[in-house]
Amino acid sequence: MPDFKVFIGGSAGSIAPILTILSSLPPDFNLIITLVIHSGTNSTTPMSEVLATKCALTVSEISDKDKLLPHTVYVAPSDYHVYVENKKHFSLSVDKKVHFSRPAIDLLFTSAAEVFGKHCIAILLSGANQDGAEGLLNIKRHGGLTIVQSPESSQMSIMPQSAIDNSAAIKVLSPLEISQLLLEYNDLINT
Amino acid sequence: MDENKTTEALRIENLEINLLMAAIKGTIGYDLSGYAKASIKRRIEQLVIDENVQCIADLIPRLIHSPECQSNFINRLTVNVSELFRHPLSFLSLRESVLPYLASFPRRDIWIAGCATGEEAYSMAILLEEVGLLNNTQIHATDINTEVLKQAKTGILTKALNKEDAARYQESGGTSSLSNYFSAAYGKNKLSQNLLDHISFSHHNLLQDSAFCSAQLIMCRNVMIYFDINTQNNALTLFNNSLVQHGYLIIGEKESLLSSPFNSLLQAIDEPAKIYQRKGI
Repeated sequence: MPDFKVFIGGSAGSIAPILTILSSLPPDFNLIITLVIHSGTNSTTPMSEVLATKCALTVSEISDKDKLLPHTVYVAPSDYHVYVENKKHFSLSVDKKVHFSRPAIDLLFTSAAEVFGKHCIAILLSGANQDGAEGLLNIKRHGGLTIVQSPESSQMSIMPQSAIDNSAAIKVLSPLEISQLLLEYNDLINT
Repeated sequence: MDENKTTEALRIENLEINLLMAAIKGTIGYDLSGYAKASIKRRIEQLVIDENVQCIADLIPRLIHSPECQSNFINRLTVNVSELFRHPLSFLSLRESVLPYLASFPRRDIWIAGCATGEEAYSMAILLEEVGLLNNTQIHATDINTEVLKQAKTGILTKALNKEDAARYQESGGTSSLSNYFSAAYGKNKLSQNLLDHISFSHHNLLQDSAFCSAQLIMCRNVMIYFDINTQNNALTLFNNSLVQHGYLIIGEKESLLSSPFNSLLQAIDEPAKIYQRKGI
């Protein structure tokens, strides 16, 4: 069973589903997870610290050229774009915003698709803008698995709906179903 | 089937990028192969959109046949942004922990490597003025990008001073009012001439040029994030060779020396502020 990398993007209303997903994962969960969450720049506590309290895995805010290490959840720093630079490293940029967002989900997903191809699992959650829909489609085009939070389970349905309208979604699932799917992949890798 | 097509398209796109890089090297002499792949690719794709051409390879004839395109392309591929007192925590630590030591030198050289439109150099001049060290200090601000250098030399801010600038200045330990250091006319703000006189702006390419000066302090923030790991290490070698013994290096908030061979040559003075000191030999 080959390795998979998980990429998650979310905006308004995505913290609750992210916590649902992360809190369900065991400490030996074997798929490296990378998160881009849009957040206001005025939040004082870094997102990584908020998530770390609810997650058995190591949660790490990404610095430039950080290595992708197992059993880690990587979180994009506020006000930086995150790219998958190659199979081993991330890279950062402060180039202009995409869909009014930095970090932008589209840039993470697209770079992940180009580096990891069909070994990507990308998940797009609740949000109130269209970031992520194009990147998710790129993941699908490269043969990766694309999952969108069901609009009815999303606090803000614009982002998931944009991806569905863009024909980027292979599966449309609730947060709990997303957790279950990730655990199934983890079991597959471990067997 | 569809997936194979996508992989093939990606292969061709990467080939086009390599050809464009070769064309840039052949025409202008700049070797951009040491830039981080993901971000330079994004900038090239933006150039394709802005130039209204079909594909990356279409940029090559324009580049080869038009000297105007040559400088224009290179400037658009290497443009970085900045702001006054970016990463205030670092400026505060610089003020409290580093400048008292630099005050012991009769005169000081400070190198701002990758100065973009000048804000970092302006911030440094303001800070030095406030602690009474500006007079015997030369600030050398360099960038690869001729267009931003032209802007930086004027001392005019690209964006008018705003509340966020003032807040960062205060968080940096500023003791006056930021607007005191700028004159205002036609909705633009210009750094006071007596501060600007302490900054020299020059062209320098961190990827290919040698050490720029011997400095007590080098600041290079959010520049190396655009380089690949090898090129980062080359730039760090350059900085290490340019620093006097016990000189200081300041890097960007989300940059890291942890995995670099320089970690052992430099001592972290303040890790969150990203301030390091060259160890004695």
